[in-house]
Amino acid sequence: MLGAKTPPAAVTFKYGLMIVLAVLPIIGPQNYWVFTLGLSFSFAIIIISVSFLVRYGGEVSIGHGVFAAIGAYTVAMLEKYFSLSLFISLPLGVIAGALAALIVAVPSRRISGIYLTVVTMVVALSLPELLLYFTSFTGGYEGLHTSGSAIEGMSAKNQGYYFPLVGLIFIDYILRNFRASRQAMSLLLSRTSKLAGESFGISGSWSRISCFTISGAIAAFGGGLLAFNATAISPNNFTVWTSFYLLVGSVVSLYSLSFFGGLVGGLFIAFIPILLAGFGDLVLVFYGATLLIVVVGGNVLQKYTKLFEQKDYLK
Amino acid sequence: MIDLIGLIWSGLVSGCQYAIGAIGLVLIFKSCKVVNFAHGNIAGLAAFLIYAVTLEESTGINWLLGSLYAIAAVIMLAAIIYVLIMPIVFKSDITSTIATLGAGLIIQGITQIVYGADIVALDLPIPDWRYDLGPIVFTSYNLLVFTITLLTIGVLYFAIDKSKIGVAFRSVSSNPFASQVCGLNLSKVQLISWIAAGIVSAIAAVLIVPTTFLSTTSVATFMLLAFVAAVVGGFNSIAGAVVGGLLVGVLNNLFAFYLGSELQNTYMVVVILLILNFFPNGLMGTGGGVSRV
Repeated sequence: MLGAKTPPAAVTFKYGLMIVLAVLPIIGPQNYWVFTLGLSFSFAIIIISVSFLVRYGGEVSIGHGVFAAIGAYTVAMLEKYFSLSLFISLPLGVIAGALAALIVAVPSRRISGIYLTVVTMVVALSLPELLLYFTSFTGGYEGLHTSGSAIEGMSAKNQGYYFPLVGLIFIDYILRNFRASRQAMSLLLSRTSKLAGESFGISGSWSRISCFTISGAIAAFGGGLLAFNATAISPNNFTVWTSFYLLVGSVVSLYSLSFFGGLVGGLFIAFIPILLAGFGDLVLVFYGATLLIVVVGGNVLQKYTKLFEQKDYLK
Repeated sequence: MIDLIGLIWSGLVSGCQYAIGAIGLVLIFKSCKVVNFAHGNIAGLAAFLIYAVTLEESTGINWLLGSLYAIAAVIMLAAIIYVLIMPIVFKSDITSTIATLGAGLIIQGITQIVYGADIVALDLPIPDWRYDLGPIVFTSYNLLVFTITLLTIGVLYFAIDKSKIGVAFRSVSSNPFASQVCGLNLSKVQLISWIAAGIVSAIAAVLIVPTTFLSTTSVATFMLLAFVAAVVGGFNSIAGAVVGGLLVGVLNNLFAFYLGSELQNTYMVVVILLILNFFPNGLMGTGGGVSRV
């Protein structure tokens, strides 16, 4: 398959990791850690959506918290008002996320680079405001609750863990296959050279819009699972800081679209605030320092060794 | 109509603040093609430094002292950030922009650790004076904002248009490679633009704080709209930053009055998307929005 030739050791490692994670709740760390691991799987999916835009679009978004929020709120609202199970609400959430991404992508189709980044940031700024404005639907500051259960007879703890895990494996599988698709080829061509893309009949606007929309859909998928796993969501979960952190996760995972890479980012986002909980605002400093070290340090390492070879997705 | 005039007037005042904020961003962008996401955090720290010095006694001398401290601090910070990202500035605009985001998070975290969750007031040491001309209200603060904005723009214009370093700055901005070939030291020019932007951010902070309160996030939050102003005006145009700032200030005021303040940012999103739909480079920018491959 094109571009996805992973060395056998890495494949073994990946499946080994999946199996370990699959049996982990059974051999049983405390519920709390199982819950947080579930959160990191959901975050991993959202982070992959940010990385997707970087890899296939060459663009950076600090507004993907918005699309995650749309997935999350769709799942929560459909459960609250229509008692729909996750199996129905999650796909609908993905569609809603894709539509929202489309609404942002169409008017911004011609801008790129930092212009797009700032626009996504402003979109992220307006989200809490919108959630509070429609308090009667969204529950305002308090937010919404979900039952965290879609299959009867299975414990909520296990559901909150396995649904995001399966979701992450699913996204890994989909994106692995996506890489060889015509769509992916045209996105990559357009990213590498807009002119080359256009001469093959792939318009720059079209690839931007489709790339952004797919990315928004993935974010909404992760967001829906996050709402299911966290059982409570509020505007506080989706501020502009959330989107900053998602970008941190994406950078830390080196914009990886794989199971393992996403997981690294997800664990980083979910566990660092807990590990540094006693130190308060040190989390910010730590996140900032990590961003700098990965971005600047990565560049230095890349210069002197081949260990840390980063491709230049971003022009 | 009376309402409208008053709203536009007060919008222009806050527009000047956004403009000054945006000018700092544009200065850096023009020389490095990097958006400095730490800009607001640097400004916030500067405001707290002044607060710390004037806390005991808010006299003119203390203000001068505080401002000197703050300016020294922003110059240092700006220089440190620039030196950190120097190796990647020309490799990738966006990667270095992400690095400034990291620096911003660090500065924000340090500000919060040192000054905690304090919410304080910081008033300028100027006489309380006010004159009403119909809906237009002149206060000593308003006049100070206009004066400082004009002064900043004037000094920058003079420096960029007439001085030697200004010529270097313009040439690096329009073609870094050619300027290097001609013997210009790129890093030096860029460093100077970062320092200038740092000073401008401290000026912005001083002007912003009296209208709001000072908390660890208030200045950074205010500055977010300066990003909007820069995008609207065109990231590589100082005149654009001023126009964008004034536009954002006035529109923000009008939206808040006529449509309610609950959805202010959302209206701003709509405005940005509309403007960028027709002017992908911002109102006065050239070739910045369309990617620089």
